Amino acid sequence: MGVLVPLYLAGLTALSLPLILHLVRRTPRGRQEFSSLMFLSPTPPRLTRRSRLDQILLLLLRLAALALVTLAFCRPFLREAASLSFADLTGKRLAILIDTSASMKRGDLWQQAIKAAEKQLEDLNPQDDVALFAFSDRLRTIIDFQKEGAAPIPDKPQVVRNRLKALQPDWSSTDLGTALVAVAGELDTASDVRQSPLEPQIVVISDFQGGSRIEALQSFEWPERVPVVTLRVSPTNTTNAHAQVLPAEEGNELADVRVRVVNAADSRGDQFTVEWSEFVVPSSGDKATNRLKAERRTDVYVPPGQTRIIRLPRGPDSLQADRVVLRGDDHDFDNTFFVVPPRKLEATLLYAGRDAAEDPEGLQLYLRLAVANDPLRQIEVRPLDTMKSLTAPGDSAPKMIVVSQAVSEELRTMLTKFVEQGGVLLLVPDGDEAATSVSSFFDDVEFARAAADPVGEGESRSEKYLLLGEIDFTHPLFTPFAGPRYSDFTKIHFWKHRTMTLKSPATTRIVARFDNGDLALFERSVGKGRVLALTSGWQPADSQLALSSKFVPLVGALLDLACGGTEVAESVAVGQSVTLQSSTQPGPIVVHTPDGRAVRLDADLSTFSETDQPGIYRAKVGSTETRFAVNLLATESLTAPLDLEQLEQRGVRIGTELTRTQRIDRVRQQRDTELESRQKVWRWLIVVAIGLLVLETWWAGRAERKITS
Amino acid sequence: MKLDAPTTARSRASYIDPAALMRIKNLELRAKLVVDGFLSGLHRSPYHGFSVEFTEYRQYSPGDDLRFLDWRLFARSDRFYLKRFEDETNLRCYLLVDLSRSMGFHSKPLEYDKAEYAKTVAATIAYFLTLQRDAVGLITFDQAIREYLPARYRTGHLHRLMICLEHELAGTATDLGLPLEQVARTARKRGVIVLLSDMLAPVEMLETKLGYLRSQGHEVVVIRILDPAEVSFQFQEESMFFDLESGRELYVDPQAARAGYQERFTDHARALARVCSGLGVDVYDLTTDGPLDLALFDLLNSRMRRGRQVARRRRVS
Repeated sequence: MGVLVPLYLAGLTALSLPLILHLVRRTPRGRQEFSSLMFLSPTPPRLTRRSRLDQILLLLLRLAALALVTLAFCRPFLREAASLSFADLTGKRLAILIDTSASMKRGDLWQQAIKAAEKQLEDLNPQDDVALFAFSDRLRTIIDFQKEGAAPIPDKPQVVRNRLKALQPDWSSTDLGTALVAVAGELDTASDVRQSPLEPQIVVISDFQGGSRIEALQSFEWPERVPVVTLRVSPTNTTNAHAQVLPAEEGNELADVRVRVVNAADSRGDQFTVEWSEFVVPSSGDKATNRLKAERRTDVYVPPGQTRIIRLPRGPDSLQADRVVLRGDDHDFDNTFFVVPPRKLEATLLYAGRDAAEDPEGLQLYLRLAVANDPLRQIEVRPLDTMKSLTAPGDSAPKMIVVSQAVSEELRTMLTKFVEQGGVLLLVPDGDEAATSVSSFFDDVEFARAAADPVGEGESRSEKYLLLGEIDFTHPLFTPFAGPRYSDFTKIHFWKHRTMTLKSPATTRIVARFDNGDLALFERSVGKGRVLALTSGWQPADSQLALSSKFVPLVGALLDLACGGTEVAESVAVGQSVTLQSSTQPGPIVVHTPDGRAVRLDADLSTFSETDQPGIYRAKVGSTETRFAVNLLATESLTAPLDLEQLEQRGVRIGTELTRTQRIDRVRQQRDTELESRQKVWRWLIVVAIGLLVLETWWAGRAERKITS
Repeated sequence: MKLDAPTTARSRASYIDPAALMRIKNLELRAKLVVDGFLSGLHRSPYHGFSVEFTEYRQYSPGDDLRFLDWRLFARSDRFYLKRFEDETNLRCYLLVDLSRSMGFHSKPLEYDKAEYAKTVAATIAYFLTLQRDAVGLITFDQAIREYLPARYRTGHLHRLMICLEHELAGTATDLGLPLEQVARTARKRGVIVLLSDMLAPVEMLETKLGYLRSQGHEVVVIRILDPAEVSFQFQEESMFFDLESGRELYVDPQAARAGYQERFTDHARALARVCSGLGVDVYDLTTDGPLDLALFDLLNSRMRRGRQVARRRRVS
């Protein structure tokens, strides 16, 4: 015997009612009409012993009728089967979706999530099927459902548990919508195709932070039979803010840096500090002392849920800082924003010439002036005197050699070796002797020794002046001047140059010619490096070049050529791909990730998509290095909890989490309902109750008559 | 001109049994039966006017009617005196009958209620006065005035009066003030006002109303009609007492409540008597098991005392 709705048993308390009425409310038998009650006062009813024992049969009848009606409301039934076991449950096909986005790095969220997943696994029955999916900005299948026809995996929950331990949250953003749509679609189709009795169910373990994307659910019709159980893990401390460097106005990158500080809506704190910092590798090599060098701090007040934009200019010390660090919140995962710093290049330039370093008539002085005061480069100009300085081009090795004197055979061999290993050699002959040695590097160029020339051998001294007439603006040296605003070289007068003639067939590339057709600048690639030759010097005796505004950029371009460019690509978010293209040097691209891995891209590929962690990435194409910063997506930092009703509004069927015992209870309840609806004991109870009430009415009527008579 | 001696009549043993009388359906017939034996009489009028019987002299003041000047006295004493006579008019009587629900009460073994008794008393007085050619008016009331008949002496008036009396009981409360006000407004000439009621209402406001009537010169007689059970409260079993007027129910154990009831009842009666005696109003109690003629004796008794007062006043003057 069981009852379906035991709550109605509370109705049995109504039994006390007739009992109380029989005991207390003794209505007087007679009713006396009287002219006026103005002289009467009420007398309290007296309880006599006799009245308590009055009409016991009537009382029993009433009690029985009430009890039967109450019992009928409880829907009693006669139980047939014994208790249920877990094996009687219908199996379920459970998809566990675990959030591995960056926001799960907060506090102990990941441990909570693992615990929640393990609890789900513990609650599984042998007939259940389980699959594990991890999702961040994309869905990863860790362990799939059992395929049709495939051999079942023995002890699948344990396998899932093991794989679960290996999982770690990455740096990606959260795309909850896509993950749900993909898994729900798969579950629904699988149930359709296999006609399986297993009940599909999705369990999502996530922090459901406000920045989760759920737009994918908008265009998806949620399958009605797939319920989603949401298990939210939440940290104890909720203050979280993040800083983001905004793109600066063009031309003012260093001075005007704007930083947007966003505080999450559920934060408790509102006071943060923002600072530039960089990773300092100490020279001693002691790794333990590696630390972030903190720069000037800026305090910022941001109330929860609001955004502030502050200016954070780079100070003189923080020109090389590559990250903006925010402090003052509870969670560090999104506190660092990486910015590619303008690179400070350190290089050595060797000069071989007869002139002294301070000689205003020489070449070296102007070269030194041109490379000084460059904020991005630190160039050391050294005279080429020792053989030791000419080692293989490395970081500390010279990148470029400028030669104005005549080259001996020994020096030539050494220079050729230097060029072959990737160095840049610029020949600027300051006299005939030096000019002759140009031919030793350019076998198709010949110094034209003009005997008729009274001024000097081979030196053509123009009465007037020559100008650069034909410039190859596609050459890297002149690409900065390619624009029509900068391409005017007519202000630079050349009075003196060494006339060179080109023998055919020529392999030398002519970069510039004078307006009379003589060679001004030409170039040849040797090995990895290149040799350039300028037929006129920049010293005041030869030309106005050193005094012109073009000289410094030209030397800069030359250094770029020697040291490699410092291109900066657009900053991207984690998971997004970067297109790396080099206009100058085609070739395989090697990308160095912040954790030191080197990823070599295929030759035909120019897109790098393994941006799986925030930091500064370096992509090398030949000698050009392109750097780009990868940062967390800003939405990932919106850690205020997502309102789960939004999922329901988009059609997701939210289920409730049921343990095995609860499910068994539910099945038992279903069976009881069926049993009860078959037996319908309540009808008989009502019939008996009505019978009792009829009997009671008759009895009461009889008693009344007896009293009145 | 002479009144019968009511006191002697009241002491007569042979009353008509009220139970037997009440079995007669016709109210007029009942009244006739009660009045049987009484003949038409004359009453002393409270008005001075033209009549044969001289009452007093009054000094002349300018504006007085010269017709009443006693020329003979003037001739004798050289002074102007007016002769005043006792007017011999018919009596104007207003019967105020309380027909509220509380009047519908009767205790066992009586088979008629207080209202029936009051109606019979009213009918008896009306019949008696009509026989004497006096004008009789009627007001029946509960918490409002139900019927109003002005005092008349004309053919068919008595019959109309009887019909008005036959009306059923209504109302939920008793307002004794209203009919008294109504009489005060309409009865210009002085007369006798007979109030027939159980007087189960607060006495306080009765004082002003009765006083106003008295100040207008009316003679007021209160005949209080009570059921014997109301006086003695001889109920035995505890029961729910149901107020006929308000419908209120009260659980009362008569054994316990009797003493309190009687005390309050007596207090009320005393308060009423005090108010009435202060105003010169006569109060007579009639229980419904008592003979009906007593009412008539009471009225006449009251009238006679009034007559004596007038006579005494005359002797003084």
